[in-house]
Amino acid sequence: MTNDHSREVLGKHGARAQRRPAPSHSSVASQLSESLPVVNVDSIAQNTGNPVITFDHVTKIYAAQPSKPALEDISLHIFPGEFVFLVGHSGSGKSTFIKLLTREIKATQGHIYVADEDLTTMRNWRVPYLRRNIGCVFQDFKLLPNKTVFENVAFALEVIGKSRHVIRTQVPEVVRLVGLQDKLDKRPDQLSGGEQQRVSIARAIVNRPPLLICDEPTGNLDPQNSRGIMDLLERINRTGTTVLVATHDREMVDNMRRRVIALDRGRLMRDQDRGVYGFDV
Amino acid sequence: MSSIFYFFRESLTGFTRNLSTTLGSIITIFLSLLIIGIFCVGGAVVNNVVSSVENQVSITCYVADEAEQDQIDEVMDYIRNLPDVQNVSFTTKDQALEDFSSTTSNSNIVDQLDGQNPLPASIEVELQDAQQVETIAQEIASYAPFQEICDEDDPADAANSLEYGQQTVDRLFQLTNAVRIIGIALVALLIFIAFIFINNTIRLAILARRREIAIMRLVGASNGFIRGPFLAEGALHALIGAALAIGIMEVLRNIVLPRITAALPWLPLQIDLSLFLLIYAALVVAGLLIGLFGSLLAMRRYLKV
Repeated sequence: MTNDHSREVLGKHGARAQRRPAPSHSSVASQLSESLPVVNVDSIAQNTGNPVITFDHVTKIYAAQPSKPALEDISLHIFPGEFVFLVGHSGSGKSTFIKLLTREIKATQGHIYVADEDLTTMRNWRVPYLRRNIGCVFQDFKLLPNKTVFENVAFALEVIGKSRHVIRTQVPEVVRLVGLQDKLDKRPDQLSGGEQQRVSIARAIVNRPPLLICDEPTGNLDPQNSRGIMDLLERINRTGTTVLVATHDREMVDNMRRRVIALDRGRLMRDQDRGVYGFDV
Repeated sequence: MSSIFYFFRESLTGFTRNLSTTLGSIITIFLSLLIIGIFCVGGAVVNNVVSSVENQVSITCYVADEAEQDQIDEVMDYIRNLPDVQNVSFTTKDQALEDFSSTTSNSNIVDQLDGQNPLPASIEVELQDAQQVETIAQEIASYAPFQEICDEDDPADAANSLEYGQQTVDRLFQLTNAVRIIGIALVALLIFIAFIFINNTIRLAILARRREIAIMRLVGASNGFIRGPFLAEGALHALIGAALAIGIMEVLRNIVLPRITAALPWLPLQIDLSLFLLIYAALVVAGLLIGLFGSLLAMRRYLKV
């Protein structure tokens, strides 16, 4: 991923976004997706090309609970440029799904491919290079309290050995993208929750990964900040980045009308384009 | 290249973060290296002593009390004509007793002998070449007239009447072996303690940085990059410890050693500077090994990458 390429993609999608009609979000809150008016979201990627993520009959069984698989026989594809919600109750396997993708844990059975690389047979020393292609955002932000916004974002580039020149040009650019250009010198405790999450997103995308994974990114935020974060994720998605969001936020999923993958007790219950949250809480 | 600076910078911040444990690990490394160094120098001194004893190439041939003077003269003439013999002299029983009473610290012991003299007379043989001690001793022992006058009952045991440097050297070696074993045990103990200290220091450093480590893993820092600062920290502690040990050794060499030489002139303390340099290099290498292995051990246990 070179800078030039990314800018080109950004420009193209930016132009397309202007042609887009205003989405009618208001009436979709808690109804079934079939009865809803079709939302015109033309930036949903066509399922062409090689998938970014492929799950091939994946089962994960933790040693602590041998009789109760955390994930059972999951098969799916996620294609480049998609925006996917991963929904489900607590304990349904969302976190396991994400940990498998970043290869914090290994699948018990089946194969997982990220960008044509098989994670189940990947050598340990290659894992860091896999993670450079996956941005991660978490509910608890995981920012370093003694570093400024700039330093927090720069840290991600520093530790993968990027030169100072790259850091000096790339960090302000991505901080501007998340709208915090005025707060470069602030520390995390001087920022609001929403702003901290923006810093965390900036850190996740500063290396321009083709895949962005968010685990409950709005879990700690009020609805207004949540909407801001989701808008940001949508904008990032429009630059061509594949975005996977695990969430509990029913309203957000129902409003955005993107692909929804629903997990329940480790099983894949539903995989639906332009779907809704769909669980009765 | 920039990552080496990064490792170094991080290991320096580790200094201020855990000052007490850092000092503890540096001091234990310093002490163990210092003791290793002192034992090395001590070993060199002992080697000097041993070789100086070996250089005192004289053979003492003890003679039985009944021996006639012309028999003794015959043996002395024979020895004098052997190759490499420099000087042959005769020590009577009275002279032997006199020498003994002048060297022993217990002056009463001579008075307690009731006028009897248990010491044998002897022929002292000085040699030109230390290498020849063994062969000449054998030749004297196999010379029939000497076998007759030697102070052993059986002429075949004449070799037992001969005393020369090798026997003293053997006894010295027994002593130095004992000292060496004690020294190795002490050094092993100290290295073990230094290991534990380094291990603990690096463990604390890892705990202090666990948030950063989690983020480094998250954004794909390579394993070497995550481990680097801790290895650098262990190596830095070891190098500082080694530098302190070398500094103290230099002080000992320049100030204490001349004084010992002045006080104990018979002790051969002349040690080459090159030997000291060799010992210093060995200390640095040993320190680095302790530091690197100590931090590797800590990382294996506490740093899952």
